[in-house]
Amino acid sequence: MTGSDASPVRLTTSDQVTLTIDVPPGTSVVDAAAAAGYVLPGQCRKGTCGSCHATAAGQYTLGPHSPAALPEAAAAAGQVLLCCTYPTGPLDITAPYTRSRVLDGGPGRREGVVTDVVQVAAAMVWVRIALDPDDACGAGYQFDPGQFVEVEVPGDERRRAYSLVNTGNWEGVAELLVKLHPGGYFSGYLVDLLDRWPTGARLVLHGPTGAFGLRESGRRPRWFVAGGTGLAPVLSLVRRMAEWGEPHPVRLFLGVPSPADLPRLPVLAELVTTMPTLTVTTCVEHPDPTWAGLVGTPLTSLQAAAAEHTGTAPDIYVCGPPGLVDAVARLAADAGFPPVVAERVLPT
Amino acid sequence: MFCYQCEQTDRAGATPGCALSPGTCGKDETTAALQDLLIDVLKGVGQYATRARALGAGDDDATRFVMFAMFTTLTNVNFTATRFVELVEQAVAVRDRVRAAYEQAARSAGQEPEQLTGPAAFVPGAGTDEMVAAATDRGILLGLPLVGPDVIGARALNLYGLKGVCAYAHHAEVLGHTSDEVFAGVEKALDYLAGEPTDLDDLLAHALGLGQLNLQVLGLLDAAHTQTYGHPVPTSVRTTPKAGKAICVSGHDLRDLASLLEATAGTGINVYTHGEVLPAHSYPELAKHPHLVGNYGGAWQDQQTDFAAFPGAIIMTSNCIIEPQTSYRQRIFTTGPVGWPGLRHLEHGAWGPAIAAAQALPGFAEDAPEASITIGFGRNAVLGVAEDVVAAVSSGAIRHFFLIGGCDGAAPGRNYYTELAESAPADTAVLTLGCAKYRVNGLDLGTVAGLPRLLDIGQCNDTFSAVQIALALADAFSCEVNELPLSLVLSWFEQKAAAVLLTLLSLGITGIRLGPTLPAFCTPALVDVLVEKFGIAPVGDPQADLAAALG
Repeated sequence: MTGSDASPVRLTTSDQVTLTIDVPPGTSVVDAAAAAGYVLPGQCRKGTCGSCHATAAGQYTLGPHSPAALPEAAAAAGQVLLCCTYPTGPLDITAPYTRSRVLDGGPGRREGVVTDVVQVAAAMVWVRIALDPDDACGAGYQFDPGQFVEVEVPGDERRRAYSLVNTGNWEGVAELLVKLHPGGYFSGYLVDLLDRWPTGARLVLHGPTGAFGLRESGRRPRWFVAGGTGLAPVLSLVRRMAEWGEPHPVRLFLGVPSPADLPRLPVLAELVTTMPTLTVTTCVEHPDPTWAGLVGTPLTSLQAAAAEHTGTAPDIYVCGPPGLVDAVARLAADAGFPPVVAERVLPT
Repeated sequence: MFCYQCEQTDRAGATPGCALSPGTCGKDETTAALQDLLIDVLKGVGQYATRARALGAGDDDATRFVMFAMFTTLTNVNFTATRFVELVEQAVAVRDRVRAAYEQAARSAGQEPEQLTGPAAFVPGAGTDEMVAAATDRGILLGLPLVGPDVIGARALNLYGLKGVCAYAHHAEVLGHTSDEVFAGVEKALDYLAGEPTDLDDLLAHALGLGQLNLQVLGLLDAAHTQTYGHPVPTSVRTTPKAGKAICVSGHDLRDLASLLEATAGTGINVYTHGEVLPAHSYPELAKHPHLVGNYGGAWQDQQTDFAAFPGAIIMTSNCIIEPQTSYRQRIFTTGPVGWPGLRHLEHGAWGPAIAAAQALPGFAEDAPEASITIGFGRNAVLGVAEDVVAAVSSGAIRHFFLIGGCDGAAPGRNYYTELAESAPADTAVLTLGCAKYRVNGLDLGTVAGLPRLLDIGQCNDTFSAVQIALALADAFSCEVNELPLSLVLSWFEQKAAAVLLTLLSLGITGIRLGPTLPAFCTPALVDVLVEKFGIAPVGDPQADLAAALG
């Protein structure tokens, strides 16, 4: 939609591709982009998840949003959430993702059957979904590692976003890591599934989408920092590296609140044994007497690693609560490392 | 970054060249820096290798690596910074090995080894950051303030020509066709460039020497193709899809195609050629596979549209990849020297992921209405009717030949070649070579003297075939190639075309028309030399150029 009162917006991706979008008054950049045929990475569309963050220069107002997703200081420095950015004049936006993360047309929709639900930690389940073949996509399920889907139970319009744990594949499999929230809509549904397994339950997946992903910047070390279910997209990235035999040295810093929250994931154990470039450091914030490992948050381990590091600076990927993401971003900046690749995990 | 090796380099500023990341092709500054660094270390390999070979301690494997590594730096081949970090490390290891062999051979011969400087002694650093820092000022503009743009341009002509030579030599080498002369020639060319030459006449002479070297390489490649897959024969190629699962093979590499055809035999997957792989259909040992069903899409620059619409897997085997679009980046694979960030790279023969993709993807639902083009007029086919051709020329039935050769590209000026072929009189024939053919192979030019008026000789890799046709006709008419009723109209894009141009010039061929623009690295002074010595002219108005050619 264009009009004489529309604001011209230039959105430039990290690979220097510029998309030009005319944004009508009162319309967010995300909505105007969708109307123009571009689906920008984003999740909640209401300013709470932070997954559509970008930098803006020009005339705009910011709608209501969570300070956890966009702190006041960041907003003052020109950072925005595109789902609640309303242009009021010419606006230049710098996006932290490549053009390939902007979907043309719209996100996909696939249906499938739940084949496995496995409790892997005190309040976490691993879900495997076998998707039905699709006329356009065929039997496979392809996505960039680090992306997420929105899950819908057929007959219920509510959606919940979850990162994919596996990698794109030609067998049509999606794997999710879901934290069980007491009284949560979808996690409650999954608990029911666990109780009456097997069920052959069907789900709808919308997507995949999302900007979190691997950055090609040479063979610099890749350090992954994950808090809680932030492990899901990080595992996807590491699994992709293992599958493709990528040569970068890899460190995974994983933090959980208590030993009971440590996910028992066979795939992680397999990566540790089969990926010679991978080192995993696990921290528990609130140990019990059974815990003999590191105590603290993943930030603690990361700080130690950064202090010891010499040579080519690492690319740091972080997925977890906003506090962790912000702290890791500050650490990277202080150490002179490249800007982090971040995904904030927020309740939606 | 700075790069002006291809035709599409940024010409918007006062000084042509891509100086901002990413360049026109999509190469970012990190990758550009690492490519510069790689070239520098390879020059160092050349320094030691030349001396080692002179002492009887040649290391063919080292120069095999050099040829492959040079190939990765051609336009639209590899955009993956990580790959270049590894290649630089490998190049340093190769350089160390060749150095050790040279020093041992020298001492065995009672000589004190030379203490080489420049690229031979250059330390590129141990990691990505260190390498990128070390690459500062190691690029093609090295020494510009001291030697000026003409010398830099003449060095570029040598370097880019050598890149083309190496690409062709790699294609031949993987099929087992090499020669000591070619290994030595590549090494000497690198050694020469490592010395930062400044004499323009000498640089031009070396460039023509590369043209001669390239002729040898193209001869090897011709032998590699024809001895492995048979001589091309005129063949009608389907250009529309057939129902079924599908894999599309693009680039140039016939060995990759042959391997894939064997791997997919009996799977129900149809294999299509794309771009410069089209001539594969005319080789009997490739055409014998019934599931090599046709050619798909247009020239390389149309790939983003063509691949988006292709419902199967795609394999890029050599140069010509451009940024994959979101819709197909999960089902396009690279192999050999090719790479793009986020695309899966397959080693030669390890086609499993591409086959799995093709089997999972929908494929073509139904046969499209049949359409075809005819190809396969290589030297055997054309010279098989040489007597008819000579008679037709002698009788005046065929007045003139136009050879439209080289690369296609997106520049609007390339419509020139279409208009030239369309406007050529009915008593002329048009020969095509390279992907420039896509500008004309949809035309129905009919026949002349019982022969098709449009004759496709093959890939740019088949330039040797075109040269042999020209030499044989000159022999039949007892004249020089320049005296034949033949006009060469070249369309260049990247470094293989630069090598081919040098070959033609080294053969003394004059009056070549070159377009759509002249290389940015050819300064006005260099262009003056090329015009004066070889009568090179830029393409102009097609009608005027036709009139001039037909005299």
